[in-house]
Amino acid sequence: MFSKNSVLALLVSVVGCALLYIALEGSILVALAVLVLALGLMVVGERTGKVDLVCRSVSDHKRISLAVVSVFILILPFMISNNYLLHVAVMGGIYSIVTLGLNFQIGTGMVNFATAAFFGTGAYTSALMATKFGLSPWLTTILGMVSAASLGILFGFPALKTRGYYLSLITMSLQVIFTLMIINTSWLGGPNGVPGVPAYSIGDVSLRMPLAIFGLDLPYQANYLYLVFILLGLTVFAALCLHNSRTGLAWNSIEQDEIVAITQGINLTKMKLLAFALGAAFAGLAGGLYGHYTSFIGVEDFTFSKSLVFICMVLLGGIDNPFGVVLGALMLTIVDEKLRDFADYRMLMYSLILIVILLLRPQGLLPKRIRQYQAANKMREAKAWFSLKGERSSP
Amino acid sequence: MSLVMSQILNAVMLGCTYSLVAIGFSLFFGVMDVVVFCAGDVAIFGAFSILAIVTMTVLQPVLDTFLPQYVTIFLLVSFSAVATAALMLLMYKLVIKPFEGKSALMPLLSTIAAGIALSELIGIFYPQGRNPQAFPQLLSSDATVLGGMMSERNAIIILATIVLVTLLYWFVNKTKLGLAIQAVSQNKEAAIMIGINRQLSITVTFLIGGLILGIGGFLVASYSNIVRFDMGAMYGLKGFSAAVVGGLGSIYGAIVGGMIIAFIEVFVSAFIPGGTAYASVAAFLMVVVFILFKPEGIIGEKSVEKV
Repeated sequence: MFSKNSVLALLVSVVGCALLYIALEGSILVALAVLVLALGLMVVGERTGKVDLVCRSVSDHKRISLAVVSVFILILPFMISNNYLLHVAVMGGIYSIVTLGLNFQIGTGMVNFATAAFFGTGAYTSALMATKFGLSPWLTTILGMVSAASLGILFGFPALKTRGYYLSLITMSLQVIFTLMIINTSWLGGPNGVPGVPAYSIGDVSLRMPLAIFGLDLPYQANYLYLVFILLGLTVFAALCLHNSRTGLAWNSIEQDEIVAITQGINLTKMKLLAFALGAAFAGLAGGLYGHYTSFIGVEDFTFSKSLVFICMVLLGGIDNPFGVVLGALMLTIVDEKLRDFADYRMLMYSLILIVILLLRPQGLLPKRIRQYQAANKMREAKAWFSLKGERSSP
Repeated sequence: MSLVMSQILNAVMLGCTYSLVAIGFSLFFGVMDVVVFCAGDVAIFGAFSILAIVTMTVLQPVLDTFLPQYVTIFLLVSFSAVATAALMLLMYKLVIKPFEGKSALMPLLSTIAAGIALSELIGIFYPQGRNPQAFPQLLSSDATVLGGMMSERNAIIILATIVLVTLLYWFVNKTKLGLAIQAVSQNKEAAIMIGINRQLSITVTFLIGGLILGIGGFLVASYSNIVRFDMGAMYGLKGFSAAVVGGLGSIYGAIVGGMIIAFIEVFVSAFIPGGTAYASVAAFLMVVVFILFKPEGIIGEKSVEKV
């Protein structure tokens, strides 16, 4: 059963995880070197056509890759040298969930500058419900998702009438309004934020307690690492299902040309609002996780520049490719946290990375791939069965 | 009554500063169909260049010894306007030209990024750049005109805007180059066909836009008496909003839009109790409503999409 392709899939997953681990553990220069290496590998792979082969083997052997990634996440807390790096990994997971949501809107051709507002709505709803009304954090996270999705629908309405620059300006305005309203409303904590957000707990065990297994005391971040990455796995799965469904196809066709999409019978209203609502729900989920993880939320985490950072992550990873988006979010979070000592340079770095990506590789690290449908897969299998040399079987 | 009157004058002044950056947006949009989001940051760069000359060199006292005060100010502002024009041209070469003919998203993001990079560079490299800097009082705010209604500084802000807009009107409508720019913004292909040098028109537009932004930066810094490295983002966003409310691509629309935004802000903070905090909220809400119900702006042609 160990075909060449399955070995390749195994190898690629292991190398990918190893590169992420090296970037996480190394210094800022190492992290940037990994980023450049990954980009270089992709470019070389695309030139020689190896990327197609790799992608196909990974998609044919999803279980192997999934197993490798799961094992990597499971043993990450044991391998890592300090708790701070574990925190970076958790934040990477949280931001990945947000960018997966933002990807729905960008994949529909709507550049949304209000993602941080959705993220913030989830965080504030969840944190305030838990601190002021004493509800269970699990419940409040769901409430946060619901409220973020409602805000998403509200913010999505302008997208029905406008597009392009006008839509961008509207989302920017709404983002600025959101930030100003938080600062000016004392019930929401105003400029002081919301302190003392309770942690999740399973039964009587709070997730903010050190985790003891195999006689080892793992730091509490490990709990959150597992929680966040389980949820990230679920959201990636949901995003992939959506991407491969008719909905995902409709979103992409709207991005290509709205008028053609209408003539094909796509319900623009429904699809655009869906992209906003689902994307906002993802961001709201991440916001709830963020609040209950850090135990403090402040308005500076939900400003316009944060929205820009999320867009930067999507672009770096590759628009409309869920794996690429997650990769972009993880890499940028790692690089960003490495720059913590040079806090003044962080926004400069983001803006320069954004310009460089746009100039040199606008399709991102992992560009979106042509959809593989069941029929095409079947055809490929059949051709392989008859041992035809069908390297490029699907048209 | 005098309270209302002074608030109106205040709003007109603020509107002048918004109008200038909105004119910049409209010029660039007209000639290239891109929204140049770093305009606000370029304007604030201009203000910082004046600040640097006045506080770090002895140029101003030296000039003051043998020139009248207003000539000195004029020279300083011209210098910063030339600097911003050069910077704008650089921005065009670096982050706008490479994206010509590609999806509109790309120049939008690249200019936002360039604006942030510019403001962060000011914050990092200007001495104490992250703290608000007191802007030198080149225009005195003590002397008053119009029977004490308005300080001399404010009168100069309004006057400077009127002069600039008149000059721009003359340039765009009466000179050959200005007409060429208009032709390019109306129909790119047709303009090229009748022998207009499109590249030259674009370059000149960016230079003129840069000049106007430099002057706008000086006026907004004089108006608020302080400059902060990150002021440009908000100034740019207000300017772009003004341009959209007035009608993107129209110079007169930019002025009208700037005035509307300024009037809303000033009146909300002056006449609604506790409204100061919500002035920007009201202005942006109005922008959202405007885009939804009158996206072509007050002065602007309705564009109908053709397949």
